[in-house]
Amino acid sequence: MSFSLNGESRDIPSDWADEPLLFLLRDHIGLTGAKFGCGVGICGACTIIVDGVATRACLTRAGDMDGRSVRTIEGLADGDVMHPVQQAWLDIAVPQCGYCQTGQIMSAVALLEQMPDPTPEDIDAAMDGNLCRCGTYPRIRAAIARAAEDL
Amino acid sequence: MRRRTFLAATAGGLVALIGAGAGIWSQVPVIPKRPEPDAETALGWIVHRDGRFTLTLPRAEMGQNIATALKQVACAELGADWDTVNVEMHSTSMPRVKATVGSESIKLFAEPLAQACAAMRDALVSGQATGRVAVTPRPVAELRAFRAGGLIGVSPEIAQGREIVTGAPLYAADVRLPGMRFGRVLRAPASVELASRPLHWNATAARAVPGFVALVEDCGPPIGKAQGLGILATRPGALDAIAEALQVEWDLAGPHPRSDIAGALDARLSEGALPHTVLDGTPADGPWDVDLRLDIPLAAHGPIEPRAAVAEWRERELAVWAGTQDAFYIRDVLADTFGLPTYAVTVQSCRIGGGFGGKTLCTVEAEAAALARAAGAPVKIQWTRGQEFALGFHRPPSSHRIRARLGGGRVTDWDHAQVSSHILFTSAGLPAWMQMGTDLFAGDPGVARGMAAPYILGRARAAYNAIRLPVHTGPWRGLGAGSNGLAVESAIDEAALAAGADPLAFRLAHIEDQLLAAVLVRVGEVASWGDAPTMVAGQRTGRGIACGIYKETSYAAAVADVAVDAQGHAKVTRLWCVHDCGLVINPDQVRAQCEGNLVWSLGMVLTDDLPSEDGHVVAETFADAPIPRLSEVPPITVDLIFSNRPPSGAGETAIVAGPGAIANAIRSATGHRPQRFPVRAGDLAA
Ligand code: FES
Ligand code: FES
Repeated sequence: MSFSLNGESRDIPSDWADEPLLFLLRDHIGLTGAKFGCGVGICGACTIIVDGVATRACLTRAGDMDGRSVRTIEGLADGDVMHPVQQAWLDIAVPQCGYCQTGQIMSAVALLEQMPDPTPEDIDAAMDGNLCRCGTYPRIRAAIARAAEDL
Repeated sequence: MRRRTFLAATAGGLVALIGAGAGIWSQVPVIPKRPEPDAETALGWIVHRDGRFTLTLPRAEMGQNIATALKQVACAELGADWDTVNVEMHSTSMPRVKATVGSESIKLFAEPLAQACAAMRDALVSGQATGRVAVTPRPVAELRAFRAGGLIGVSPEIAQGREIVTGAPLYAADVRLPGMRFGRVLRAPASVELASRPLHWNATAARAVPGFVALVEDCGPPIGKAQGLGILATRPGALDAIAEALQVEWDLAGPHPRSDIAGALDARLSEGALPHTVLDGTPADGPWDVDLRLDIPLAAHGPIEPRAAVAEWRERELAVWAGTQDAFYIRDVLADTFGLPTYAVTVQSCRIGGGFGGKTLCTVEAEAAALARAAGAPVKIQWTRGQEFALGFHRPPSSHRIRARLGGGRVTDWDHAQVSSHILFTSAGLPAWMQMGTDLFAGDPGVARGMAAPYILGRARAAYNAIRLPVHTGPWRGLGAGSNGLAVESAIDEAALAAGADPLAFRLAHIEDQLLAAVLVRVGEVASWGDAPTMVAGQRTGRGIACGIYKETSYAAAVADVAVDAQGHAKVTRLWCVHDCGLVINPDQVRAQCEGNLVWSLGMVLTDDLPSEDGHVVAETFADAPIPRLSEVPPITVDLIFSNRPPSGAGETAIVAGPGAIANAIRSATGHRPQRFPVRAGDLAA
């Protein structure tokens, strides 16, 4: 079994096939950008993009990624050049503790790929499943609007 | 402490069943040491080598972005370029610093750091390139970091910002070590105040789970009185399956005499006379114009990061990575627990994925250390969301009764009675016998915080009691100031209504503190206080105001607009806040803290509630204990007062005003005074 991870082919070892994709990424492959927050799909801290769709890695079986294309936050920047969403996050200083933010950014990237010019209602609907206890929501909205302009 | 280790070969590989019977753990808790920082100590935080500086952050970083602000202080004082200063998280190998709590990081640490950096700057100018720098503290007026200008009063890109947005490993759970195992300590689904221990379990079924490594009976000290059973696996995902397969039966003392938590608070409040006095006036006898009862429930911190730790033993030395607000206290507890000298234990602070006062005690760190010792390999433990709710400590539930009497349009008499559970003398840290001592002699200053209303109220009394509950309670953003602010600001609003006065003008008439008056007047200006609230077609709308002082030094005032639909669902449609914390090092991050506090304020009124049954927390997910979502949060305007007062704190200030403003807006929209929180739609239905 194998899948494409940020453009590179990766094996899925058979003993990790039943593991949540989140742990395959974090603990086997060592990409720790996606976070564990709840394990049941409610918080969004583990959000990654599978074949273009924002997906909860905690609810996704690793073995089911066979032949699929997975993007994580580690694949967004081009060297030192940030993706426009990452840059907007820095310009607006969105992160407080930062723990939810990789998931927020991946949800925002997926949103802007599907909908380059989202309305405020679109943003609220797309981002409502990504919780942030620090309360960075107003800045998340502002950063998405900024990134939409830059894209 | 000697442990026996049994090894047995099975089809799955080498399986260890470690330990027999629980260890004997000390009954006397380790008490946190809280030294005040000084310039001499601060010299240890800054090092110069070959034109570059390393600033070892003397605080835990948990989203207050203190790394950025203290780097600004260091750069300003050193005269150093931003890119020549590296910031590193501290470990316990540097001299002890106190816990990162109480919004003190700028207030207490900026000056010593600036003094040390000034001394370093002078030494470099005089040609000294090696050795120790001597520091003679100079008047604050001579410190560059205490004057606006240059890097003071601006907002550079936040430290670790790039690492956050690229997903670089920053948090305890991101630490990976060769041969690392994944662990969990199972505990009884019961009140942590009841003695419990594992009685029977199905080891055979657990061993059959792919990835199983070992069961560990000797899995560290209890949490409260709950003894655990440890499990180890080669993959984190196997832990759920192992826990399931074990089918642990628990030996459980019970039931807890205060299983009805709300009933216990109510009973104590009805008894009258409360032992701890905050305001010692004697209200006159007679009928009251305001008589308000408010009930505020147990609430979780709800950080998105469930606490985590990685532990590794190297012979008789222990290394732990933790996202903790107090690495030194964790170190001391681990040394005490495992019978080691403190120098044999190193705790590395990692960025915390949300603390809010809840990541101060030693829990997951001791579990990881115990399991790593048993495994003979490094172990990572990250609590499940359910464990975070069940085993952490929480904001105590509190019940308040506030009465006020008016005369000549002013409050002449005031009586605030509160029953809560403990905050500073937390039940999560102190056994009942010790708490009886603090109850007798000290009360609980955390419960008292914010109980002295910031108004001239005539004959004013405020008194409280704290009772030990079956759920553990402790510090939560703002301590008592959030709940007390909500209670006081609700009551003063009712007093204004009873007097037929404008709520802003009524407050001003009772305020002596000019800094408080200033934020209140200013918030009236920025929110256009006389105007109608934000309109929402077909809904009842209202506007509310509130203000307060945090820890005698920081000031906030807030205005909220709400809209309530026919079914009684309330939505906050707009928030304004004016904030004064003295000299502002980084205005954007002070604003960020205000925004966070306002979202917490919204949560206090509309969402925060941690459900319990029979004295134990039953919430397992954010569906059971919700936190505010993006769609629930309105546009927020924060206006800062810039002053030359010594810097105070911003991390918890706006929570004294935000909840009151929202509750008062609901009152104005619906005519119903919110009295039980979170507000239920049924109470507000048209
Ligand atoms: S960890 Fe996947 S949604 Fe919370
Ligand atoms: S930034 Fe802390 S949870 Fe979102």
